[in-house]
Amino acid sequence: MPAAGPPDAAAILSRECRAALDALGPVEVVAGVHALNRAPHVTQLLDTVEAGLDKHVSPRRAAVLAADGGSQDGTADALRAWCLAERRGPARGCLDLVPPIQQGRAVVALLAAARGLGARGIVLLDADMVGVHADWMPALIEPVLAGGADYVSPAYSRAASEGTLTTNLLAPLTRALYGKRLQQITGGCSALAAPLVEHCLESGLEAGAPHGHGMEIALTTIALASGARVAETHLGRRRVDGSLPELDLATILVRTVGPVFELVERYRDVWAETRGSTAVPRFGEAPAVLTDARRPSIERMVRAFDLGMKDLLPVWEQVMPDATLARLYPLELLGPDEFAFPPALWARVISDFAVAHHERRLPRDHLLRALTPLYLGRVAAFLRDASASSPSGLAATLDQIGRAFEAEQEHLAARWR
Amino acid sequence: MQDAWTEILITSFRDVASRLAGIGPRLLAALTLLGAGWAVAAVLSRLAGRLLLAVDLDGRCARLGVMGTLGRAGIRRPPSELVGRLVFWIIVVIGLLMAIEALEVPAAVELAPVVIKFLPNLLVAVIVMIIGWLLANFVAEAVLIFIVNAQLAGGRVMAGALRWLVLLFAAGVALTQIGIAREMVLLVFGILFGGAVLGLALAFGLGGRKLAEEALESWLRKRDGGAGGPGGAPHV
Repeated sequence: MPAAGPPDAAAILSRECRAALDALGPVEVVAGVHALNRAPHVTQLLDTVEAGLDKHVSPRRAAVLAADGGSQDGTADALRAWCLAERRGPARGCLDLVPPIQQGRAVVALLAAARGLGARGIVLLDADMVGVHADWMPALIEPVLAGGADYVSPAYSRAASEGTLTTNLLAPLTRALYGKRLQQITGGCSALAAPLVEHCLESGLEAGAPHGHGMEIALTTIALASGARVAETHLGRRRVDGSLPELDLATILVRTVGPVFELVERYRDVWAETRGSTAVPRFGEAPAVLTDARRPSIERMVRAFDLGMKDLLPVWEQVMPDATLARLYPLELLGPDEFAFPPALWARVISDFAVAHHERRLPRDHLLRALTPLYLGRVAAFLRDASASSPSGLAATLDQIGRAFEAEQEHLAARWR
Repeated sequence: MQDAWTEILITSFRDVASRLAGIGPRLLAALTLLGAGWAVAAVLSRLAGRLLLAVDLDGRCARLGVMGTLGRAGIRRPPSELVGRLVFWIIVVIGLLMAIEALEVPAAVELAPVVIKFLPNLLVAVIVMIIGWLLANFVAEAVLIFIVNAQLAGGRVMAGALRWLVLLFAAGVALTQIGIAREMVLLVFGILFGGAVLGLALAFGLGGRKLAEEALESWLRKRDGGAGGPGGAPHV
């Protein structure tokens, strides 16, 4: 009987919950689903995850664990009901968190429970994901169980207009800082080997990442910074749930770029030594570049950029030096048809924002929100390029962005105090 | 005749000498108080500075964005040093008041109690103004960023108006605290504040119809799913 009650689990899981986990017995594979306000969809997702484990992971002993991240719509009740339902197959467990209940803490609870159960690997899944297929489970966990990887990140077939924050900021910045080319930094799911779970729990994962995106970014970054063997696996098309309430862009930037910048501070000693980058091993086919179903409104984005140039300069002047601003001024004169925001300039802008974030020149929330018009300007330029590119041309464009960030990395290190 | 002249001279000399003998110790006491006040001020300001450094006031202020706001106002010194200087000058002023009191100058006899009674109110007023100024800058910046991100025009005007509104409110509170023409200040503040709010409401309702239209458009765009990434696609 494993001791499902290490110090961190004791701090985050209720006593009854730990006793229930102890009763599950030793488990080799865990699938952990964390949910926030997903009552109508979460049981279907859990069924799919369970079917995936049952079909592909048996005869290894497996368990599906579910944790609520503080839902207000009855998700917690739905999870409890699903766990209590009688059924053969993988064991089921519902985690009761000690308050405060947040999505980030739900992820930590899943990792702590997996460690307590002695699992060799865990698949983490955000219940916001739609279109999850049972085949995703083996695709994510098999590289871990086969000893080929400590961390498996998803890769998706996507259109150019999808995931532009990832393609233009999160992925190239991570590539430049930690030297690995990953498609997704916050892909909605991942798989971790037991030693990495242990390392994550010891790394103070809980601190400062109350949201799902922040926690995923922290997991990916810890894996990269710790030198764990990182791989990615192709999961096909990533579907988006239109019924989900869309956060405004500025809040998305706060919840994604904020954690990345905070981790830049934490792992300064690691990234300061990074030079260049290498591709990570990929399982499955190469992700395809899909055709955009809708033509994105570049005009609107350029208008947002111009408005930022007109009104936000007093704020940007506190973040970026004159040399960067001087390179931005001419962009205001470009119309939507000729708009360009070179990757090198974009990388410099992000570098300036990272330094200002580190030096706390502005309240951090203001700083990250003030990035919005610049991001929209960059996306407008990227989509203009992408609309004229073939799929291979798009891959070259993405590589060019990554190289621009790599070139900027030394400059960033030199300015970091 | 000569005796009277000599008598007058001697009397005058004696009077001046006796007066000087009376003022001398008071002058010496005043100078001592001034010197001692200066020395105590120097020691206490340094102690205050070190204490604030020990509790990481500068770091805390930096995390709250206070350093940036001070920097924008041209103040480059750290808050611990600023507070240290404030402590220094408060003690020097108290020493000065004690020195004036020791001189027993008839015109200044009532000055010290009045100033000492007034000093705490002045200090509170200064603190109110500093907090008001920091708050005004913070709110103005937040509003400016929000308006620009909502893709609405006129962000600078709105942020500037809000900044002055907060400053006006802080000034009203500070002046009331030091009791300068309290009724008049309240009246003027009420008129200005009410006028500013009414002006903003009218500006938004009449002059800012386009702004209101844009705000509604932006809200509708978000409601219809347009707040996502390009073409409604996800950003991450």
